[in-house]
Amino acid sequence: MSSPLRRLTRCAVLTALALALSVAEGMVPLTVLFPLPGLRLGLANLVTTYALCRLSGREALLILVSRCLLGALLGGNLMALAFSLTGGLLALAVMAALVRCPFLSLFGVSIAGAAAHNTGQILAAMAVLGSRAPLVYLPPLLLCSLVTGAVTGAASTLLVHRVPSFADIKS
Amino acid sequence: MRSPAADRRRPTLWDGLLALLVAAAAVALLFFLRPAESNFLTASVVLEGETIAQYDLSALTGPVAVTVDQADYPLTIQLEPGRVRIAESACPGLDCVHTGWISLAGQQIICLPNRLVISLTGASDPDFDAVTG
Repeated sequence: MSSPLRRLTRCAVLTALALALSVAEGMVPLTVLFPLPGLRLGLANLVTTYALCRLSGREALLILVSRCLLGALLGGNLMALAFSLTGGLLALAVMAALVRCPFLSLFGVSIAGAAAHNTGQILAAMAVLGSRAPLVYLPPLLLCSLVTGAVTGAASTLLVHRVPSFADIKS
Repeated sequence: MRSPAADRRRPTLWDGLLALLVAAAAVALLFFLRPAESNFLTASVVLEGETIAQYDLSALTGPVAVTVDQADYPLTIQLEPGRVRIAESACPGLDCVHTGWISLAGQQIICLPNRLVISLTGASDPDFDAVTG
């Protein structure tokens, strides 16, 4: 396979995976267990972490933006798009910076990503409402992001080690 | 692309420190936003950035139900002496209804699909002017 084609294919596969994960997550929302608006496990973030570690920041960004746009087409609305994009972009920026940090593991990177995602969502809600009222949801969301970040951190550690890098697959 | 974080299998001490930092930020925000007991409560209803009504909860003698029909998803606000809740709403998600009763100054009920916020403010002075709409 030629190199641009290979790149396109792996981005497409990962976008489809991220989309499927976020739809699946929406079917079993965490908010049933713990009623807190905006709370989710962040499974689609696994794909972002994988792309950051095994592909490149540019491809991670492409996958993230395509996933958000397609997700909005599937069942969301314009407001949901604004939320997932601000949260996702902020999380990607923070994780892209931290994944290069020599002292951290993917646990720390994922926790920071989850916290950044929640912060981005609250900022978007504050912008939509034109009020600082949504800020009251941030402290509980941040505490939850410690748990969800650790879970996705463990999952992405497994993912990055067990799933071979695309470059290693002979085609 | 090689990244040191991706090669580790176990969390490091720095991960713990980062988690502690996030927890500290949460606790600091929680302290900053803590609600307060107040004898005189006013509930403000803000729809799409405009205050559409204010109710003096301390002056209420019995339960009052108010329907907000001009919202995208009509909803019913239930007011009682000292507390308020959204009793029912046509919005998807129903986060606002699940918030339940609020009764402390500084607490809020948010209905994001409607862009509606109900916030409680307290006052130590019983003689303030309240607009009832």
